[in-house]
Amino acid sequence: MNITYVMCSLLLGGALAWYLEGVKVQSARWIALLTVLVVALYFAVSVITSGLDFTELQLVVRLPWITSFNIEYALALDYLSLVLVSLTLFLALVCVLVSWQEIQSKSGFYYFNLLATIAGIIGVFTAVDMFLFFFFWEVMLLPMTALIAIWGHENKHFAAIKFFIFTQVSSLLMLVAIIAMAAIHFQQTGRVSFFYADWLILELPLSTSFYLMLGFFIAFAVKLPSVPVHSWLPDAHTQAPTAGSVLLAGVLLKTGAYGLIRFVLHLFPQASMEFAPVAATLGVFSILYGAKMAFAQQDLKRLIAYSSISHMGFVMLALFSFNAIAYQGAVLTLVAHGLSSAALFALAGMVYSRVHSRDLNDMGGFWHSAPRMGGFALAFAAAAFGLPGLANFVAEFLSLVGAYQRFPLLTILAALGLIGSAVYGMVFFQGAFHGKEHGKEQGKKQNEASTIADLSKRELLIFSSLLVLLIVIGFYPNVVLVFFQKTDLITTITSAAGGQ
Amino acid sequence: MTQLMMFSLSPLLIIAFGLVLSLLLIAWRRSQKLILIFTLTIFVLALLASLSSVMNLTDAVQVTTLVKVDNYGNFAFMLVLVASITVGLLSSTWLTHSVEVHDEFFLLLQLVVLGAGILVMSDHFAALFLGFELLSIALVGMVGYSRDSQYSVESSFKYLILSACASSFMLLGIAFIYSQSGSLSFATELFVYEQTSPTISVFYHAGILLFLVGIAFKLSLAPFHLWTPDVYQGAPTPVTLLLATVSKVAMFVVLMKFWFSQPQLFVQPLDQPLISNGNALSALNLMSVFAVLSMLVGNALALKQQNIKRLLAYSSIAHMGYLLIVLMVLSPHSVALAWQSALFYLSAYVLATLSLFMVLQLTQAKRGDIELEINDWQGLFWQNRSLALLVIVGILSLAGIPLTMGFIGKFYLLNVAVQAQQWWLIATLIIGSGIGLFYYLRIIFILFGEENIGKIAGIKNSAVDYKLTTVVSFSASMLIFVGLILGLYPDLLGNILVNL
Repeated sequence: MNITYVMCSLLLGGALAWYLEGVKVQSARWIALLTVLVVALYFAVSVITSGLDFTELQLVVRLPWITSFNIEYALALDYLSLVLVSLTLFLALVCVLVSWQEIQSKSGFYYFNLLATIAGIIGVFTAVDMFLFFFFWEVMLLPMTALIAIWGHENKHFAAIKFFIFTQVSSLLMLVAIIAMAAIHFQQTGRVSFFYADWLILELPLSTSFYLMLGFFIAFAVKLPSVPVHSWLPDAHTQAPTAGSVLLAGVLLKTGAYGLIRFVLHLFPQASMEFAPVAATLGVFSILYGAKMAFAQQDLKRLIAYSSISHMGFVMLALFSFNAIAYQGAVLTLVAHGLSSAALFALAGMVYSRVHSRDLNDMGGFWHSAPRMGGFALAFAAAAFGLPGLANFVAEFLSLVGAYQRFPLLTILAALGLIGSAVYGMVFFQGAFHGKEHGKEQGKKQNEASTIADLSKRELLIFSSLLVLLIVIGFYPNVVLVFFQKTDLITTITSAAGGQ
Repeated sequence: MTQLMMFSLSPLLIIAFGLVLSLLLIAWRRSQKLILIFTLTIFVLALLASLSSVMNLTDAVQVTTLVKVDNYGNFAFMLVLVASITVGLLSSTWLTHSVEVHDEFFLLLQLVVLGAGILVMSDHFAALFLGFELLSIALVGMVGYSRDSQYSVESSFKYLILSACASSFMLLGIAFIYSQSGSLSFATELFVYEQTSPTISVFYHAGILLFLVGIAFKLSLAPFHLWTPDVYQGAPTPVTLLLATVSKVAMFVVLMKFWFSQPQLFVQPLDQPLISNGNALSALNLMSVFAVLSMLVGNALALKQQNIKRLLAYSSIAHMGYLLIVLMVLSPHSVALAWQSALFYLSAYVLATLSLFMVLQLTQAKRGDIELEINDWQGLFWQNRSLALLVIVGILSLAGIPLTMGFIGKFYLLNVAVQAQQWWLIATLIIGSGIGLFYYLRIIFILFGEENIGKIAGIKNSAVDYKLTTVVSFSASMLIFVGLILGLYPDLLGNILVNL
């Protein structure tokens, strides 16, 4: 079981793709696909054969790294990171496949960036040394920013800079909190440590831990994103290439949620308990605001981006209600939203490649010429607004049921967001696939817009695999939930908070 | 003079002796190639000498009352020498145009290095002033060296007059301090006047203030930064590099030596009430004001710069502001960490600046010595990968993004700041780096932009051939390698700094 191999081989595969593209055109995508497949296979096999129990954090590797600060290279896995890494690797395949035709220029460097981002994300999900975590947290940003800034759409530089500055400034706050934690560890034990397990046993005075918690919380809230700090997301999503959007929505947002679970809740249980009403309110606000804004968008990708904000609000609400059911709901939301938003962004990318516009006004009547695409679009829109039988329904249902026990009023408000999501889901679907065929109104665009090509085999493969997963999880959520039955998280937090 | 003293002073002696020999060499034969090789040999010898002192010296050696050789100073001198060697190499490409033989340039360069060497090893105001003037006067000559360039007179006059003002301020300050302490040595066990009449302490305060103003001018701290962009822009590129690295490193190190030898400036005595401790508060506050202003002003004014040298000038103002954080030490125990942080940060800064100026000089030479705007680097990544990578690593290092040395430097600074609990400075640093990302990222995005061959088709140089000589490409890849390896394994340098 070696996560380092996984990350290194992703990087090496990317470098190889970059190099070979110069030797033989179009070889990069094959290399990238093969790399991701092999890595995913290796990961799956080694997890299954390791025979470890991942309900607890299982340390995979721990080596000294920067000895002057006692910083270690430490990676660990538990079910949470396992599920998220699997999601990442699966979406990596989707990303490579959706970029297949889209990226024509500089594609070698493109696949290098794509794979480097994925390697960074896997690092984030597995690092248990806080400095290392921060390192990966930043490193995954660089290639992601490059993806937006080089292969993005018309306003790419603005979006990339906005994305980078939002995350960078907020993560500097986290860095300060990390250093302060290490300093506190030094005061209490006489030894500097950035190791996660060492920090768990620190005794923190509530006032200090509140500020430290805020440092972490802001960084993760920006990534999640939660409402007052969300404004980078619509821009970044709109301007990113399709695979960039898929990766952003599918995995990058999840790093924020992962950070909240792993660090904010575990390290500062009492402070989080104190902060919970604020966080939950922010969550509900995100749900409603995201839904409202999604409804008002004409730009297809912006619409999906705002819907992401809305869905991640559920995660925030559920996490801060400290309830086992809500926690399960939150984790399931991560997976379900990862799949459904990836599917929607892939869909937006495919529509864009056909009509060269993201504007809903330029679409309409696609159902005639592309019924299979329409069918899938309907299914994914339904998943986004939580149709029973699809994964998102179970996830949101569990979140709301759990959250209701702690924040009844907020949860009722949050449930309104479900109606909102149905509305914007239908706006999207009707606008693009029903109604008049757009080309008949504008004669000159007749050939391009009125008949669009239906899904190719590659696209069919992407969509059907995503849909199958959504349905499987929807009908049998235990494939994910079975890992989160024994959640000691809730017990530790409630016991810590009970002791105040 | 004992053998130990000779040995510890040998780097300086080599430079001084080399200067005399260079004069003789010029009298014997005027050849630019010869004097270049001779200068570089001297520098390399001095580098080896200081390297051996770093390895062999265990304790600081007081050589007369003027000079105290310690390993911090030796390390800083090594940085100075590395920068000067690069300057020598770069100026050889720049000085080839005219038929003249430019021996004077190399003599001035050696004088600058001698001045910097005296500064970093001084332990006495007289030595400080000597080094300061050697450095400044030689630099004035170099700033105005290219007589036929548009700005040479303006910038050298600006530098001459302001530098003379600064040194007279400083001299007055030294006189005031001397009038109170009765000694010109840095480390005097004086200062009984907490109890004595208040007029004395007014003089002392005025002295400290004037002295720090002189230093602040050289470090181009806001509000004494106004000369920086003009002089940076007007000076020949290698000389700008000298201003940005050698002069800054030497002045900062001497500032630290002065500061940390006067514990009454910053340490709060435990047994005294806060009121009687005006010294500590006022000097610390003054430095905080310098730091905050420099971080904000430098970053804000760099935002809209188009000229690369002006942009780097403003960014260097901000970096000196960041560096001032290491002076905010509240207890003598943290002084070692402060030195390590400062030297690490300075190394990162020097390396990044070297990388950027190297590319600047090379691209400028290819384009016929015109003033380079940022847009002239457009598409560099697709034209010459190693130069572009050098710029990227340099910029990321300046911006403090992980993978590069600059991030570790920033991490050191934050550690010092957290230990000293300077939350306002930390907040300013975060805001400053946030603003800084705008212009740093803009440069990187421009590197990745479309090649602008068609855009300036009128100019012959537009299709620049970026073929590099082997020496240049080797040193470029070395710089990239060092920048990255020290970002990934900062221990390589960190352990050396711990043992200094």
